[in-house]
Amino acid sequence: MRNRYNFAAVLSAVVLICCGALILGQKVNAAGEGKISGTVKFDGTAPHMKVIDMAKDPYCSKAHANDPGHLETYVVGANGGMANVVLYISDWTGSAPASTTVPVFDQKNCMYTPHVLALDTGQTFKVTTSDQTAHNIHPNPNPMTGNIPWNQSQPPGAPPVEKSWKAPEFIEVKCNIHPWMHGWHAVVKGPYATTDSSGNYTINNVPPGNHTVTAWQEAAGTQTQKVTVAAGTAGTANFTFKAK
Amino acid sequence: MRTRMQSWSLVVAASVFALPMLSWGQLTQYDLETRMGTESHVGNVTGHAKDAKTGYRRYCVGCHGPLGDGNGENFPWVDPKPRDFQLGIFKCRSTPTGTLPTDQDLFDTIGRGLDRSNMPQWNALSVQERADLVAWVKHFSPRFASDKPGTPIQIPPEPEVTADRIKAGRDVFARVQCWKCHGVLGQANGPSASTLQDDLGRPIAAFNFTDGSRPKCGSTDQDIFRIFMTGLDGTPMPSFADNIKPDEAWDLVFYLRALMPQKSKERDMAKQLGLKPVDMNAPAAQQ
Amino acid sequence: MRVSSRLHLRNIFQFATSFAAVALVLTSIVLTCSQPAHALPAFARKYGLRCSACHESWPMLNYFGQKFKDNGYQLMNDRDAPIWQNPSYWPITLRMTPFWSRESTNKVAVDNAALDATVEQKLTTTGFTLSGLDILTGGTLEKNITFLLVPSADETGAFHFESASVRFDNLFRSPWLNVKVGKFELDSFISEKRGLTLSGSGGGFQLFHFIPVGDGNIFGQVGDNQIGAEWMGHSYNDRTRLSVAVFSSVDGNVDQPYGQNSYTAFIAGSHAFGAGKLGVQRIGGYAMFGQAPTTYLTNGGVPLPGTGVGNKSFSRVGFEGLFYLGSKLDVQVFTQHGSDDKWFGACFGDIITGTCDPFNNNSTGGPGLPDGARNPTWNGAFVETHYIWNPQFLIFQRSEWIRMSQQAIPGTPSNLGDIDNYVFGYRYNPFMTSRAGFAFHNEYSWIRQRGTSPVSGTDLSTNSLMLGFDFDF
Repeated sequence: MRNRYNFAAVLSAVVLICCGALILGQKVNAAGEGKISGTVKFDGTAPHMKVIDMAKDPYCSKAHANDPGHLETYVVGANGGMANVVLYISDWTGSAPASTTVPVFDQKNCMYTPHVLALDTGQTFKVTTSDQTAHNIHPNPNPMTGNIPWNQSQPPGAPPVEKSWKAPEFIEVKCNIHPWMHGWHAVVKGPYATTDSSGNYTINNVPPGNHTVTAWQEAAGTQTQKVTVAAGTAGTANFTFKAK
Repeated sequence: MRTRMQSWSLVVAASVFALPMLSWGQLTQYDLETRMGTESHVGNVTGHAKDAKTGYRRYCVGCHGPLGDGNGENFPWVDPKPRDFQLGIFKCRSTPTGTLPTDQDLFDTIGRGLDRSNMPQWNALSVQERADLVAWVKHFSPRFASDKPGTPIQIPPEPEVTADRIKAGRDVFARVQCWKCHGVLGQANGPSASTLQDDLGRPIAAFNFTDGSRPKCGSTDQDIFRIFMTGLDGTPMPSFADNIKPDEAWDLVFYLRALMPQKSKERDMAKQLGLKPVDMNAPAAQQ
Repeated sequence: MRVSSRLHLRNIFQFATSFAAVALVLTSIVLTCSQPAHALPAFARKYGLRCSACHESWPMLNYFGQKFKDNGYQLMNDRDAPIWQNPSYWPITLRMTPFWSRESTNKVAVDNAALDATVEQKLTTTGFTLSGLDILTGGTLEKNITFLLVPSADETGAFHFESASVRFDNLFRSPWLNVKVGKFELDSFISEKRGLTLSGSGGGFQLFHFIPVGDGNIFGQVGDNQIGAEWMGHSYNDRTRLSVAVFSSVDGNVDQPYGQNSYTAFIAGSHAFGAGKLGVQRIGGYAMFGQAPTTYLTNGGVPLPGTGVGNKSFSRVGFEGLFYLGSKLDVQVFTQHGSDDKWFGACFGDIITGTCDPFNNNSTGGPGLPDGARNPTWNGAFVETHYIWNPQFLIFQRSEWIRMSQQAIPGTPSNLGDIDNYVFGYRYNPFMTSRAGFAFHNEYSWIRQRGTSPVSGTDLSTNSLMLGFDFDF
C-alpha cells in the first residue's frame, strides 16, 4: 500500500518536475543558473594576418607607430585558442533576456574595440570614439531582416551613439573613412558569450535542458553542438575550426 | 557529419559574405501583389500604386526591374546602379538616417532626378502620375507597410550670409573633417576618397564641389543642409545631426557654397576674405 | 487675244488638274516611302531608357520625350556629353519598313484604243514593297551643343539630307535660349516626322503639304524640313514652349535654286497644364508668314534658277492641341487657315518641280496675272486619336478635311481641291526594350480630292491597305 503511494508520489513529482522543467525551460527568464563553457581552438597554423597600412591617416599610423595594427579576421592565441568567436544558443525560443548592461563599441586607435560585439536583440549598446580623428560608424545589416542600416559621423569628441538591433543577424560594421576598420555586431537571441584571447568562453544564465550551441567565427563559419545542461552544473562544448 | 542546422548556418554565413555581390531584396511577385493597395500623400494629391503599374513599366522598369530590385535590363551598363526599392533605403530624405523617407521626399526625387546618374528628371509627368509612382515605389518594400517614415528634421530659417558665418563654416568643415573624403578644397580628393564603397560594396565617389555638378538631392541651400544633417543612406556619407548644431549647419552650407563654382554671394565673400583652405596636416584641434 | 488666253487657261487648267491628280497619288506614296521617322533607339541605348519612356508609342513623343528633345537631346544630368559615354557608343539609328500594300485609285487616265481617247479607269495594285531608309544620328557633340543629322533614302536608295542641324542649348544657362541652325523640322509639337501613320493614302498630314489645285507655291509646306535658323525657348519642365524660325523660301532644297532674298518665318507657341486625373493637356498655335518668288529671269526663254524675283507673300496659321483623356487616350487637333498670294494661285512660283508651266508663267517677260485672279484661301483641320491599350499596343485613327474658301481663278468650282482623308490602324510592338524598336503596323486609309480626276475633272480618290513591319535599331 505504502509503496504504491510512494510510487505515485514519486511518479507525480517526477512528472511535475519534468513538466515544470519543460515549461520553465521555454521561458527565457527562468532562473537558469546553468552555464555552458568551453574552448574554441584553431586547427593548424593560424593564417597570417596582414599588417594594416594606415598611412591614409597620420593620426592612425602614429598611434600604431610601435605596435602595427593587423587585420583581425582570425585572432589566434599562442595555444591555438581563437578569440572573437561568438557562442549562443541557436535553438533559443521565447523572447530575449532582459539585459541591464549597455556594452560599449569603441573606436580606439583607428580599430574597433571589441572587434566582435555580441548582443541580444533589443539590447542597447553605445558607440564611442576615443580617437582624435574623425570616424563614421556605419553598420551594414541586411534591411530585409528588419535591421535597418544607419550611418552617423563620429568626429573627435563626439558624444556616444546609443542604438539597438531588432533582429538576429551578424552585422558587419565599418568606417568609410578608414577602410581597414571592420567590426561585427553579432545579434542573437538568448544568452551568449564571446571567446577571450585564449579561446575560452562561458555562457551564463543557461536554463537546464538540452540546447544547441552554435559557434560563429566571421571567416571560418559556424559549427553546432548539442549540449545538455543539468541544474547547477556546467555543460561543455569545445569547438575546433579550420581555416577556410 | 553536419546537421541540417550546420548546413543552413553555412548557407547563411556564405550568403552574408556573398552579399556585396548580390542585391539583397529578393521578394517575389506574389509578395509584391499583397501591397498593391499602397497609397501616397503628396500635398493634397493621393497617389495609388495600382494606377502606376503602366507608368512604371513605361518609364522605370528598364533600370529598376520588374521587381523593383534594381535589376532592370540596363543594370550592367549604368553607373551608379539603379536603386533597389525592396530594401527601403533612400539617399534623399528629410528624415534621420536609418528611417524611411516621406512621400514628399520620394516625389521630389522623382521630379528632380539625380544629377550625374541615369535617373532622369521626371517633372514632365503630371503631379498625379508622380504621386502614383511614389505609391508604387513604396509597394516594393515591406518596410513601408510596417514602419512609418521618420520625423523630418527641423530646418531653422536661413540666416543672412556674413563673412563670419563663412569663416565659422570653414571651422565646421575642419572640425568634423569633411575634408577626409571631400578634400580640403572640396575636390573629392581627400585621403579616404579613393577607397569609398557603397553599402553593396561598389566603388562610389564623394561629391566634387568644384566641378559645377549639382548636389544629388536638390540645389537649394535647404537641400544641402538636409544632406549632411540626414546623411545619404546606402552611401559612405553619414549624418552629422549629432555633431553639428542647426545654426552651425547654416555656416557650413555657406562655406560649401563658397567652394562651388556657381556665382554666389558666399563665393564672392570668401574671395574677399582671402579664406584659406583647411590645413589637413594640422592637429585636429587646430584645423 | 482674250479668247486664246482663255483657251490657254483651260489647257493649263487641264494640265494642272491631271498633273495634280498624279502628283497627289505620287506624293502620298513618296511621302510614305521616304519614311520621315524620328524614333532613336540610339538614345535608348545611351541612357538606358526604354522607347516607351520618351515615346507615347514610338515614334510619337510623350511629354518626357518632348522635354528631352527640347533640352537638345539631353537628360540634363551632367552626363550628356559624349566624353561620359563608352567610346564604342555610336549615336546612330536605322529605320525602315518593308510592307505589303494594296493601293487603289478610282480614276487613272489611260488610253482606250477602241474609243481613240483617254478615259478614266480604276486601278488597283497589290504587292510587297519597301519604305525608304532613315539613318538618324543625333545627340551631343558637347554639353549643350547638340546635333541631328538624318541622311534619308527613298525606297530606291536615292539619298538626300532630311535634317542636318546644330543646336546651341541653354545659352547663358537658360532653357529659354536655344538656337538651331541648319536644315530642320519646323517646331510643331504635332509632328509629321514622328507620325504614327504610314500608308500611301494616309501616311502624312494633308494640311502639312496642301497646295491648292493650280497653285505654284511649294514654299508654304509646314511638313517639309526647311533650311534656316531657329530660336526656341521653354520653361524648366517644358510646360511652355516658344519658337521663332527664319528660313530661306526654298522648301528645304539646297543650292538656293529659287530666288535670292526670299525668307519665311515660322512662329509657334504652346502651353501645357495639368488637368488632374485626365493628364497634361497642351494647346498652342503656329503662324507661318513668308515670301517667295513668282517670276524668274530667263536666258533664251529658259527661267534661270536662283534668279527669282517678284516676291509674293503667303501665310499658314492655325491652332494645335494635344489632349490626354486619362492615361490611355489622347487626341491631337490641328487646324489651318492658309492663304497664298494670287500670283501663286495663278500658278506662278515653283520652277523646279514643274507644277506650273515654266516657259509661260515663270518668266519675267511672261503673260502675267490672269484677270480677276484672287488669293486662294482655305481652311482645314484634322483630328487624330490614339488609344494606347498598353505601351506595346496602339490603335489610331485620323480624320482630316480641307475646304477651299476662295479659289484663285474665277469660274473655278468652289470645292476644287477639297480633301477628305480618313485613316485608321494599329501598331503592335511584340517587345519593348532599351535597344531596338519593332512594330507590326497595319493601316487602312482613304482620301478623296474634289475635281482632280485626270480626264473628267470629278472626284479623285485613292485608298491604301498596308500590312507592314516597322523596325528601328
